[in-house]
Amino acid sequence: MVKARMKIGFHLLFKSRFWSIFLFLALLFGIRWTKGAGYLDLYSILIKPILPGTAQKEWIKEGENIERSIRLQLLEKDNTRLRKALSLKEYNGKKRISAAVISRSSRNWWRQLEVNKGSKDGVLKGQTVIGPGGLIGLVDSSTPLTARVRLLTDPGHQLGAWIARTKRHGILTGMGTNRPKLIFLNKNSLAKIGDAVTTSPASTLLPPNLTIGIVQFVNEKALPSPYAIVQLTASPDAIDWVQILNNNGKK
Amino acid sequence: MAKNNKKLFIFFTIIYLQACITISPDWLKINGITPCWPVILLLPFSLKNSRLKSAAASIFLGIFVDSFTIGDVSYVPSLFLLSLAWSTYGLHNKKIDLFLNIGLMAIFGTAFVGLSIWFQKIIFYSVLRNNWFHSWSIYILISEVIVTGLVAPIFSSWLLFAYKKN
Repeated sequence: MVKARMKIGFHLLFKSRFWSIFLFLALLFGIRWTKGAGYLDLYSILIKPILPGTAQKEWIKEGENIERSIRLQLLEKDNTRLRKALSLKEYNGKKRISAAVISRSSRNWWRQLEVNKGSKDGVLKGQTVIGPGGLIGLVDSSTPLTARVRLLTDPGHQLGAWIARTKRHGILTGMGTNRPKLIFLNKNSLAKIGDAVTTSPASTLLPPNLTIGIVQFVNEKALPSPYAIVQLTASPDAIDWVQILNNNGKK
Repeated sequence: MAKNNKKLFIFFTIIYLQACITISPDWLKINGITPCWPVILLLPFSLKNSRLKSAAASIFLGIFVDSFTIGDVSYVPSLFLLSLAWSTYGLHNKKIDLFLNIGLMAIFGTAFVGLSIWFQKIIFYSVLRNNWFHSWSIYILISEVIVTGLVAPIFSSWLLFAYKKN
């Protein structure tokens, strides 16, 4: 008797609209729960053929690069003309000597590199060494076939730098860590995190406007003068090839 | 005998030490820090020879190593003092060829050399005087001590046996 009743009950349940209502509600709940993810994905798949493809993106990028290079050339010409007008030292980026790193001691008591070009190729003491990213150090000594580069991170290594945005000068001092310290000459540095640190455009010792790094930390209250910690844009730990600016790029 | 000692020392200094400093193989580094090679070479020589010879060798070695580094900081003072101490210890102690004993002496020697370089840097570069407790110095010191402590028992012991055989 009980079995027969159960049979009838299930039969009625399957025959009624219960399942269609249940599925509809489950679908609705699923859409609500996923916030319409399925719909959005379907939409993106459907409109994909209409969207601009990768080729178009590349054309735009190429166009932008050409525009940038033309603008850069114009600005460089303008810069050279203005520097001449101000009787400042000129910088010639083409006078570069490429050299391979043959020995590296970038984490020891002395932070230095040995490169495979020396006085025979025109590498002399005091010349600027740059790597991918910007300035990495200065030539400390040279032999006929090799040169020793003192890195910016070497403890006690000092050179002049400035922040172009604030036009404030400072002395970039190696502290033995990977981040040198920029000790400002003014009481108010006005520096902010993210500011670019470069060589001074009026420098006579170093080529002007060479990228050094980015400000990572500023201590305005430090005594006797405020300082900033600079993250170098060129990493001496990973560089295998460097470029030495012959005669420091001066014409 | 003494001539052979001297020859071995000069050979290792001029060929081996120079190669170790310049090539600085990655598998012999801890956090990019190489072993203190002058200590590894000087230790067995000082233990086997008299004070005068050890002192002369330390000055020679110090000047040689200084030529591969930049700046005014020198290895000579610390190596000189170490050579005197080790040669005195070596003359009075007959069990100097103990494996761990050599490693321990190299560890103390490296720490002494490291501290000497650190203090010299503080003296020469006024900028570093603003903050006496330099994290980079401690980092280098500890790494150098560890890696020298690992290399010295093998290399210095072998060199000491070689000196003794000669």
